[in-house]
Amino acid sequence: MKILIIEDDEKTAGYVANGLREAGYTIDRAGDGKEGLYLAADGGYDLLVVDRMLPVMDGLAVVRALRGSGVHTPVLFLTALSGIDERVSGLDAGGDDYLTKPFSFAELEARVRALLRRPAAAVQQTVLRVADLELDLVKRTVARGDQPISLQPREFRLLEYLMRHAGEVVTRTMLLEQVWDFHFDPQTNVVETHISRLRTKVDKPFQSTLIHTVRGAGYCLREA
Amino acid sequence: MRLNAFRTTSFRLAALYAFFFGLSTTALLLLVYWYTLGQMEQDLERSVSARLTQLHGVYDSGGLEALKKSVTQESSQPGSRFRYALIDPRGLRVAGQVPYSDLGEEWQELEGEDEESGGENEDAILGGHGVRLPGGWLLWVGRDVETLHELRERLAGAVSAAMAVTIALALGAGVFMGWQVSRRVEAMNRTARSIMAGDLTRRLAVRGTGDEFDRLAEQFNAMLERIQALMENLRQVSSNIAHDLRTPLAHLRHRLEELRGRTLTTVQYQDAVDQAIGETDTILATFEALLRIAQIESGRRRTAFTRVDLSALLEELAETYAPVAEDMGHKLSAEVSAGVHVQGDRRLLTQMLVNLIENALRHTPAGTRVEMRLPEPAQSGALVTVSDNGPGVPEQERDKIFRRFYRLDASRTTPGSGLGLSLVAVIAELHDVTITLKDNRPGLRVDLQFPPQGAA
Repeated sequence: MKILIIEDDEKTAGYVANGLREAGYTIDRAGDGKEGLYLAADGGYDLLVVDRMLPVMDGLAVVRALRGSGVHTPVLFLTALSGIDERVSGLDAGGDDYLTKPFSFAELEARVRALLRRPAAAVQQTVLRVADLELDLVKRTVARGDQPISLQPREFRLLEYLMRHAGEVVTRTMLLEQVWDFHFDPQTNVVETHISRLRTKVDKPFQSTLIHTVRGAGYCLREA
Repeated sequence: MRLNAFRTTSFRLAALYAFFFGLSTTALLLLVYWYTLGQMEQDLERSVSARLTQLHGVYDSGGLEALKKSVTQESSQPGSRFRYALIDPRGLRVAGQVPYSDLGEEWQELEGEDEESGGENEDAILGGHGVRLPGGWLLWVGRDVETLHELRERLAGAVSAAMAVTIALALGAGVFMGWQVSRRVEAMNRTARSIMAGDLTRRLAVRGTGDEFDRLAEQFNAMLERIQALMENLRQVSSNIAHDLRTPLAHLRHRLEELRGRTLTTVQYQDAVDQAIGETDTILATFEALLRIAQIESGRRRTAFTRVDLSALLEELAETYAPVAEDMGHKLSAEVSAGVHVQGDRRLLTQMLVNLIENALRHTPAGTRVEMRLPEPAQSGALVTVSDNGPGVPEQERDKIFRRFYRLDASRTTPGSGLGLSLVAVIAELHDVTITLKDNRPGLRVDLQFPPQGAA
C-alpha cells in the first residue's frame, strides 16, 4: 500500500510518515502542493494525506486539480482549520475524510485504514455478517446464530458502523461523527455507555466476544 | 499636522459661497446701475428731441430766419440747460453757442469748454443730436450731461466697493468658519490620537449644543464605550485562559516530573502516559471550545442554515442520553411534540442542546431528574426547555454562568472547561434564540425561545 504525504511542516510530516511506515505502508513525501500534484498525477498511490495549507499551491487546489484530471485516489485532509466550513469545503473539493490538527496517531491510522478499505465497502450489501452475528439492513433485524437481538435505533446504527468496519479499529471520534453526527467532544461517556449497552445485548449472552476495546485507540469488532 | 484654515472643507464652501454671492450681488448692482442711468439718459434724449421738434416747428411756420432768431434767443437765455447750434450748408455756425464743428444727426457726447459759462464750467459735457433741414442746414440741440456722467462714475465706484466688501466679508467668514470647524475637528483628532496611543478611557468632548459635531462625538463615544468593554472582556478572557490552562499544564508537568524519578513497570508507565495524554486532551479541548466560540461569534455564518426537525433532534438526543443519565444515576425524560421545525445549523443546534443536557447531568447529584420538553409551538415560535430538580443556580449568579470560564463554586471540582454554556450562548445568539434561566423549584430550568419561524 503506497501513501503520499503532501505536507510542508517537517514535524507533522515526519510524525505521520514514521507512524505509517511502522504500520507497514510505503510512504512518499512532498513538501509543497505543486510537487504533490506532480507525484500524485499518475494515480500510482493508494491514498493521499494532504495538508490544507501548503506553499505554492494549497491543498484544496491540488485535490481539485487531481479530481479534474480523473485521479480518484482517496484523500485524507489534515488541517489546523477546524471550522465546519473548512470541513465542508474540503469534502466538496473531493476530499474523502478530514482530520483536524492536533490529532492522535491512532485516530489517523484508523481513518487511513477506513479509507483504504472504502472501495470494497461501496458494494451495496443488505446483510452484514461477522462470525455468527448477522445484521439485516432492509429488515432492520439483528441476530446471533438463531437468537434474535432487539436493538434501539441508535444501537443499531452503532453496530452497523462497527460491522461495516469489522476488523478495523474505529475511534471514539469516528463513532461520534458517524453514528451521532456529533462534531464536538461531549463531556459525558456517550460512546462508552452505548458500547456497553450494545455489549450487554450482543456479547454477554453468548460464548464469544465480538466487540473489543483497543487500548488508547478505540473499538474493534472482530472474531475472537 | 498644522491647522490650515484654507485647506478646510468649510473654507472651500465659504469661498464658493462668496463667489456666487459676489456674482449675484454684482448682477443686482449692474441691473440697478443700468436701469437708473438708462432711465435718466432716456429722459434726457427725450427732452432734447422735444426741443428739436419744437424748433423744427418754428422753421416750418416761419422759415430759416425765424428759426435763426429763435435759436439766437434761446441761446442767450441764461440758466438754460440746453445748448444750440444752427449750421449752414458750408459747415459754419450761424446761430447758437455750441463750439464744435463735427456735429451730426446721431446722438453724440462732446467734451470741452462751454462758451456760455465762460470757463466757469470748463469740463462741461454736452450730449445731443441734430436734425437736417432742407438746403443742407443742420439744427443741433444738446444738453449738459455732466451730472449723468458723475452719477455713472459714482455708481460704478459704489458697485465695485460693494462687490469688494461682499467678497472680502464672505471670504473672511469662510476663513473664520473654517478655522472654527478645524479647531473642533482637530480637538477630535487629538483625542483620537491619544486613544490610538493606548488611552482607551479618553472620550470626545461634547459641547451640549446638540449640533452635528456633538451628535458625531456622542456616536463615537458610544463606539469607544463598546470597544473598551470588548477590550476589557478580551483582557478578562485572556487572563482566564492563561489561568485555566496553567493549572492543567502544571498538573501535567508535576506528573511527568514524578514519573522521571520513579522505577515503574511497563503497565504503570502506560497508565501514566495515558493520564498525561488525557490531560493534554483536556487542554486541547479548551482551545477547541475557545476557537469554536470565536468562530461562531465572528462568522455569523447563517449560510449553513437549513430547516431542522427540532422534534426529531430532541428525540434522538433523548434516546442517546437516557442510558448515559441512567449510568450516572440520573433520570432523563423527554416530552416532545412532533413535527416542530426551525431554521438553523443542525450541528450547532445539536451541540447547544447536548451542552445543556450534559450541564444538567454533570452538575447535579445522583438521583436528579432531567427533563426535556418541546410543547406544541405557540405563535411566538418553538420553546425548548431543559430542566432539572438539582440544586439550581442562585439568582445573582444566573447571568454570569454564560460567561467564559465562569464556574459556580459548587462545580469547581467537576472537570470541564467552563466554556460549555458560553458556547450555548453564542449558538443561541446566532439563531436568535432567547435563553432564560428560571427557578424550577427546586433546580434550574433553561428556556430556549426560538424566533417565530416566518421571520427566521
